[in-house]
Amino acid sequence: MMAWLEGTALATWVRESPSLWAYPTILTLHTVGLGIVVGASAVVDFRLLGYARRVRLVDLSPLFALMAWAFLLNAATGMLLFMADATTKSRQPVFYIKLSLIFIALLCTFGTRRIIRAGNPDSGAGAASPNGARLAVASLLLWAGAITAGRLMAYL
Amino acid sequence: MDTFITWLQATRLSQAIVYNTWVWPACETLHFIGLALIIGSVGFFDLRLIGFFRRVSVSAARELMPIAIAGFALNLSTGLVFLIGHPEQYAHNIAFWYKVGSLALAGLNAAIFEMWVGARTVHLAAGDDTPLSAKAIGVVSIVAWFSVLVWGRMLPFIGNAF
Repeated sequence: MMAWLEGTALATWVRESPSLWAYPTILTLHTVGLGIVVGASAVVDFRLLGYARRVRLVDLSPLFALMAWAFLLNAATGMLLFMADATTKSRQPVFYIKLSLIFIALLCTFGTRRIIRAGNPDSGAGAASPNGARLAVASLLLWAGAITAGRLMAYL
Repeated sequence: MDTFITWLQATRLSQAIVYNTWVWPACETLHFIGLALIIGSVGFFDLRLIGFFRRVSVSAARELMPIAIAGFALNLSTGLVFLIGHPEQYAHNIAFWYKVGSLALAGLNAAIFEMWVGARTVHLAAGDDTPLSAKAIGVVSIVAWFSVLVWGRMLPFIGNAF
């Protein structure tokens, strides 16, 4: 199955094309998406922890749509990068660790979105709820962990 | 330049970076975390300058800047580790110089904002539109920072860095 995936024309092109538009651009787009997903998520998380209190939480909610688009970009580019080296990557424990961390981080993101949408839109300057603060810390650590696991895929 | 590279490679610091094999992946990981902190906080402020997120006042959005400074400090220091460890793979790498150029553009743009444009925007309240000069600063900033990211990620493919 993995060998078949790796042998498809698309996977072969990603892996073997000398063009900068193949592997290098796909990898770069994956990093762009990382910056947007984790960066926007960090902004929400730091706000939940009490930084930039004059920004009302509810006004950050459009960031979730931005995160969703960037996440789709990374799911798509991630699949292409996986296909290109499917046999190797499917045997890397750190790859499954990365996927698990992303999955749990996404659950945190859905949780913070719920907190923000449920909040009173006028309660701008207030401190974050303990629940929100816990979710924010978890989210920051999980995304940092996902980045670490992703980077280690090149080494382990 | 090449004399300097040879000297740098011979320093104890450079050799320590190369011989401790965990240093490089650890710094790369921190570099990626730093880039996310910069893109998130600077990107948000830039989007406000361009005219999105108008329900947030410009000065409130600006309170996110310590996150950007922390990310930049992280990436400047880890970036220096890469440079000191393997100066030879950057000095003649065109992607590296494009990255440095993009960083300079981002810095110059931020300086222009601080010196001239900022004064006209920081008092803007929630709901206020931004002047054209602020929108231009926001666009240049986003383009410059993503350009820093792209050239950095392209270092192994355009030049020979890893």
